[in-house]
Order: sequence, then structure tokens, then C-alpha cells
Amino acid sequence: MNTVVADITYRAMLGRKRIWLLVLLPVALVVLAALLRLINGHDEQTAVTLMKSFAIGTMLPLLGLIAGTGVVAPEIEDGTIIHLLSKPISRPVIAVTKFVVAASLVAVFAAVSTYAAAYLLTGSESGVATGFTLGALFGGIAYAAVFLLLGVLTRHAVAVGVIYALVWEGVVGGYVPGARKFSIQQWAQSLADQVSSSPFFSSEVTLGFAVPAMVIVTVGAVVWTGQRLRSLSLTGDE
Amino acid sequence: MTEPTAVIHDIGYRHYDGVRLGRGRATLALGVQSLRGVFGFGRTTRAKIMPLLLMAIMLMPTVVSIGVMALAKQFIMPYPGYAVFMQAVIAVFLAAQSPYLVAPDLRFRVLPLYLSRPLTVTDYVVAKLAALAVALFGLLAVPITIQFVGELLVDLPGPPHTADYLGALGGAVLYAVLLSSVGIALASFTPRRGLGVAVVIAFYMFTAAVSTLFYAVLSSTGRDDVAPWALILNPFFLVDTVQSALFGTAPINDEGYPPGIAACLILLAVIALAVTGVLLRYRKAAS
Repeated sequence: MNTVVADITYRAMLGRKRIWLLVLLPVALVVLAALLRLINGHDEQTAVTLMKSFAIGTMLPLLGLIAGTGVVAPEIEDGTIIHLLSKPISRPVIAVTKFVVAASLVAVFAAVSTYAAAYLLTGSESGVATGFTLGALFGGIAYAAVFLLLGVLTRHAVAVGVIYALVWEGVVGGYVPGARKFSIQQWAQSLADQVSSSPFFSSEVTLGFAVPAMVIVTVGAVVWTGQRLRSLSLTGDE
Repeated sequence: MTEPTAVIHDIGYRHYDGVRLGRGRATLALGVQSLRGVFGFGRTTRAKIMPLLLMAIMLMPTVVSIGVMALAKQFIMPYPGYAVFMQAVIAVFLAAQSPYLVAPDLRFRVLPLYLSRPLTVTDYVVAKLAALAVALFGLLAVPITIQFVGELLVDLPGPPHTADYLGALGGAVLYAVLLSSVGIALASFTPRRGLGVAVVIAFYMFTAAVSTLFYAVLSSTGRDDVAPWALILNPFFLVDTVQSALFGTAPINDEGYPPGIAACLILLAVIALAVTGVLLRYRKAAS
């Protein structure tokens, strides 16, 4: 963890157009919750649907994608990462710092808006709000790590990330039950299910699988990012 | 005072005396070059992987469907629903390829170079929009055309689904125009390709999620008159509504859609809005 690098990365993330996407999606979630509240009033089932399909299913991967790739991919694209890599800072430390920045952004934006939206719809009934907040928090951290890794592995990090989030988790996960075991969304949902006692919500992956998987994926992705940065080659833009 | 000794040598530079083909041909050239680029032709091998992979995925249901028609003599994949069924893949294609068309030119500030030629801002925008629209039309039309040829060759009992096929082709034109204008409009707001991809895919995932969510909530609470309106927030269902209204194909959603005329107007309004947005954006970028 290097505070100077973290500071620069925060400024790069919050000072550009990128911030609009990071803010708009959580705002949209809260607005949707308010709209649904107007249409339906307090309703636990609606809250669970909103949380599952929008908060965890749509917003979380997008925030993870924007923040995770955003902390490193633009620097590689512009070639300015060479200035960072030429400093006497260990590459794994750079990787950890970038990860902390991305994870903190996703965690704050996703968790706060998830809690606000769920609270609007259910209050604190049957732990839906706290459960999904917990899920969004840790799911967001895992997404940030995976997409950070993608950002240093490939030039098309965002496109590859989109394919993972949309095609693998969305389409393949919809038809092939086995694929759901390897989906960060599902792990986040099993965390949420552990806390919430809502009868409308049950997760498909056991907690005994989800928690170790999440830890392994997060730690593994950050370590691999560090290793990858040690031998990063900058090739010209096509 | 010495005489000046410098001489100007004629080293044989020559003027272009041929026919000047003008704006139209310049636009066409830019459009064709952009279209090739969308599929990665004329670019590095790495740039070809993504579009050709997505094209291959689009063809998979076709292969399966022809196989089933040949072996089991059953028709399983109706043409008009192909785009809705494969919407995630089409959205990924749109998101991955539309920033390529606009972002590098903005990022490297080469727009003034284009505009120093007979090409105008409008021509540039038209060329880019047309390139993406043709690419998307190809992405949609090639699989269903192959399936139709397969259906004719297998010769199932009963008449071929010609009307459905033609309707789906008409629908493909609508999908291509709507998606390309929205894709270019969103992608042209940032000179960064990665962020452009994220913006376009965020648009699709957001509209798709919101439309499914509101449809589910509204129909579960018995507001069946409003529920179909929520569905057409998703661009794919919007086009499917227009497609079934214009070409008489079977709608994907059995519960019914909002009236076709309203959907047509919404479709036109969205396209007009997106194209105006792009034009305004480029008026600003060019100056």
C-alpha cells in the first residue's frame, strides 16, 4: 500500500467522466427503489427482486468493471504506467494499492446505494437490507480484484469483462446450473442469504463454497496482478 | 557583391490531374474502411478475435437448429425471435465495436484531418453510422439466412417459413439502425475506448434490467395495461414490437405489446434523438 500512488489513482478516478458512471448507477438504483415504493408500497418480494436482478445482477458487475479496469487500464493504454513502474516501488505493492482504491470505490458506491434502496422498500424487515449490503460489499471487492487483473492481462479488458458478466453469469448461468457455482454474483447472493431470513429469497451456492471461493479469487487475482506487473510489456496501440 | 548561386531544381513533383471523385466517394471510402475495421479486417490479429468470435457465437444456434431440422425433422428456432434470443451477444458486439469506430479519431484528434478534405462533419457521421449499421445487419442477417437456406435444403414437411424470414430481415434493418445510432451516440462522448465499451454495455444492461424488473412487478400486481410499456424500455423488445406491427411476425412476448403505432413513434424518436446527439457532438468536436 503506497499512499502517493493511491492518492494519484483516486484523483484519476474521481476527476474524470468515469465518475459519472460510478455515481449514476447507484443513483438509478435508489430512484428505482423509490419508484417501486410509489407503485407498490412496502413489499419484500419486490425488494428481493430489485436487489437480485438490479443491485447484485446489474449494478455490481458494472461498478466493478468501471472501477477495476479504470484504475489501471487507461494508464496502460496511454503508456503513462511506465512512469509509475520505473519508480522504486515493488510491483505487488502497486497492485495492492490499485486494488484497494478500486475495491474501496466499488464498496462505497455499491454498498451504500444497496442499503438505501433496500431500506426504502422494506425498512429493516427480515434482514434484506443488511444481507444484500453485505453481499454487495464483498461481491464488489471480488469483482474489483478480477477486473483489475483483466486490466493488466489484456488490452480489451472491458470487453472481456463484459463477456464474463453478461454472457457467462447472465446467459450461461441462466441455462447451465453448474456455471452458477463460478459466478461472483451467486457468491454475493449466498452471503446475502446468510443474513436475510426473507422467504422470497434463497441462494443456490452454499456459503461453505462461496466464502472460500471469494477469498481465493480475490487474493489470487491481486497476487497475479502483482506478478503480471513485474513483467508488463508495453506494446504500441493498434 | 556576388551573384546568387542558389538554384531551384525541378525534381519532378507532379500535380494530380485525374478525376476528383468528391464527397460521395470520400464518404463511401470512409464507410467501407470503417466497416472492414468493425470486423477487424485491416487491423491486427488481436483486433479480429473479438468480432469474429462473437460472429461465431451468433452462428451456433443456427448450426444446432439446422442439425435438429435435418435429423429430427423439427423446426425449433423461429426467425423473428433470433435477435431477442441472442440479445446479450449482439449487445456485447455493439459495445465492443462501436467505440472502435469513434474513439481513436477523437483521442488522437485527427478529425480536422478528415475535415480538411471534401468530407463534411455530416458525411463523417453518416459514414460511421452506416458502417456500424451494415455490420450489425450482417451479424443478424447472416445466421437467419443460413438457417433459411438450411430449411429449404432439408425440406421439412409443410411450407417454408418465408414470411417469417422476410419479416426477420426487415426487423434486422430496424435493429441495425436503432442499435448503431444509440451505440455511436453513447460511444462518441468519450475518447477512451474502454470507457466507451463500459458506457454502451451499461446502457444495455440498465435498460434490460429495468424493463424486466418493472414488467415483473407491474404484472404481478395486476396492472396488465401498463406492464407491456415497461417491456419496451429494452431496445430489443422495442424493435420486436415494431417488427411484429410492421411485418406481422409473432411477438416474442405472448402477453402482448403496447400498440404498434406508439412503438413505431418511440423507435423513430429514439433514433432521431441519438443521431441529433451525435451530430451536435461532432459539430463541437470539429471546431
